[in-house]
Amino acid sequence: MRRLPVYLLIDTSGSMRGEPIESVKVGLEAMVSSLRQDPFALESVNISIITYDRDVKQILPLTPLDELQLPEITTPESGPTHTGQALRLLCEKIDSEVRLSTPDEKGDWMPLLFLMTDGKPSDIQLYNEMIPEVRKRHFASIIACAAGMSARTEPLKALTDEVYSLDTVDSTAFKKFFKWVSDSIGVGNRSIGATDNLVLPPPPDEVNVIV
Amino acid sequence: MAKTIRLTATDGSTVEFVDEVIGSGAMKDVYFSPDRKYVVGFFREPQDANAKDRLQNIVGTYRDKIFGQIGGEYWENLFCWPTKLVEWNGHLGIVCPTYQPHFFFKDGMFKGKEKEGKWFASAKLRNKFLTPAQKGTWLTHYHMCLQIARAVRRLHAAGLAHSDLSYKNVLVDPETGRAAIIDCDGLVVPAKYPPDVVGTPDFIAPEVLQTRSLKLGDDAKKLPSIQTDRHALAVLIYMYLLNRHPLRGGKVNDLDPAKDEELSMGAKALFIEHPTDKSNRPNLKDVNPAELPQADVTKRPYTICGPYLTELFNRAFIDGLHDPSRRPTADEWETALVKTTDLIQPCQNPGCEAHWFVFDNTTKPRCPFCGTEYHGQLPVLNLYYSPSHGKFLPENYRLMVYDKQSLYMWHVNRFITPNERTRPEDKKPVGDFHFHQGKWILINRRLPDMWDVSQQPKRQIKPGEYVELTEGKKILLSTDNGGRLIVVQVVNN
Repeated sequence: MRRLPVYLLIDTSGSMRGEPIESVKVGLEAMVSSLRQDPFALESVNISIITYDRDVKQILPLTPLDELQLPEITTPESGPTHTGQALRLLCEKIDSEVRLSTPDEKGDWMPLLFLMTDGKPSDIQLYNEMIPEVRKRHFASIIACAAGMSARTEPLKALTDEVYSLDTVDSTAFKKFFKWVSDSIGVGNRSIGATDNLVLPPPPDEVNVIV
Repeated sequence: MAKTIRLTATDGSTVEFVDEVIGSGAMKDVYFSPDRKYVVGFFREPQDANAKDRLQNIVGTYRDKIFGQIGGEYWENLFCWPTKLVEWNGHLGIVCPTYQPHFFFKDGMFKGKEKEGKWFASAKLRNKFLTPAQKGTWLTHYHMCLQIARAVRRLHAAGLAHSDLSYKNVLVDPETGRAAIIDCDGLVVPAKYPPDVVGTPDFIAPEVLQTRSLKLGDDAKKLPSIQTDRHALAVLIYMYLLNRHPLRGGKVNDLDPAKDEELSMGAKALFIEHPTDKSNRPNLKDVNPAELPQADVTKRPYTICGPYLTELFNRAFIDGLHDPSRRPTADEWETALVKTTDLIQPCQNPGCEAHWFVFDNTTKPRCPFCGTEYHGQLPVLNLYYSPSHGKFLPENYRLMVYDKQSLYMWHVNRFITPNERTRPEDKKPVGDFHFHQGKWILINRRLPDMWDVSQQPKRQIKPGEYVELTEGKKILLSTDNGGRLIVVQVVNN
């Protein structure tokens, strides 16, 4: 059975401290418990979480959904947002954790990436260098979420066409966002339209699609 | 408290619902009626005239074809069929009965969730997350499959194709052996309404996947139909009985997982248990330990499902996989499932998870699940029919006997089959089998005309009397037209 690897990159820079990061945690908890009720997800989804601020850490290595425990997420008082470094760590982890197909063994499904930020990359040069590297990893889909008014969408648009913005960073907004993330993860199990390719479910009302 | 909205359905009746979404599917948002006896699902997208016409037919003409006949209420348990069409704020909606309570988990990790079939068809989910009670027995899985096959047979007989049969659209309850087909609003009428969907992964027929990239309107493009339903039905039955997918094996058809999926389920689909081409056997190194032992086709080959289903699986996944006209019909599945339940035996190991197994026509029967060999005497009844007076021919139909088992009219007379048309009086057992004081006996309860014809003169076994089942015993169950003769074989272990 192929695994479906899901990577979550979460901004933990100083500006996320307080209510925003608490809301993210609530949203993540709700997402995991809702995915655990979904037989399709329980069978194949594996999740990894990478947090990034000044430091970049994989706080959860790629773990089957039923076995994972959400680790503690902490935020520093202040400091830069090393999104570029986060992408670099992501590429390393993809290379070491995701199994590729070989002529005699089936590998994993193409991974999904969800990246959330409330600001902009402080290491923009590295960030731009990493974008082609991320592309080479063949994600099935990359979804970026710009949370709050000070989140910049331009850098995200260089990474993916699917950029969504949350006007607020409260728990309702995040809960809806993560609900949508879990619906998107489960989309492989839905009926496929007679004409279209696989499409993601429509984002919740609170999420704005950036075009 | 959300307010209650009152609408008039297209048939003029009143429909009420509480203005609070209880769930959202791929296409609809769903609301409860105040008494929770039905739900109303509104399509989020506007529906065109064609779709509206189709829905009108589904709640009207097609519904009548199935439910409006004598015995139509039989189908209420097997389908969750839309009953009415409504419109609200420009959104078209359908009214459906609420799912029956046994189709929801009543305890455990998933309390309150619908029992969609995937929970019970996946080895990993069964092995890791379900309680023994939730899993039911192997026999209840045959009963579930039988109801699914029967419901699909009924749809096809009415000229309708479901078009999206999958474990998401079939609710099952292994505890009681019941199943119901839901999401009937996507029904396809060949040459009248084209399908909305090509199906759900795992269940899409190879020819549909293979021609998916062709444009709608291209004659070569294959869309869901009765023939593709037959593929989905075969996959469902295989998965419920064996907990693995018949086409998901070890063969890599492309290094890109998405292309590999398209080929492995489409143009290059190959049965994992193909007797001669073994290239798609599951690679046990590759398999998650939680999927064992079900993933091991050498430990649990499909032949454990007995001779009748083996033949149909061969036709579905070998002969008919790429040749839709050769796939077994739902009617054939129904018949084979009924005959197979007559071959089923309780496992003598009280700790056996399956509890039942299908007699394998050998002299040393052994449960394929726990390996326990059957000890003791095992009567096998071979059923014969009479094409003309006094002459009896074998029917390739056997009935295995176990303690406290019942004999029914469909064993007695070959013109009676167990299905929705079975008369209530024919649903009651006519006799029963017992292992009594070291002997196997059949007690006649209601058969007016049952005879032991092993020796001359023949001896009548009146209601209330019994006959011992010994090797070579011949018992005529009825002298009516279609009445059967049974010839007893005894396996001794």
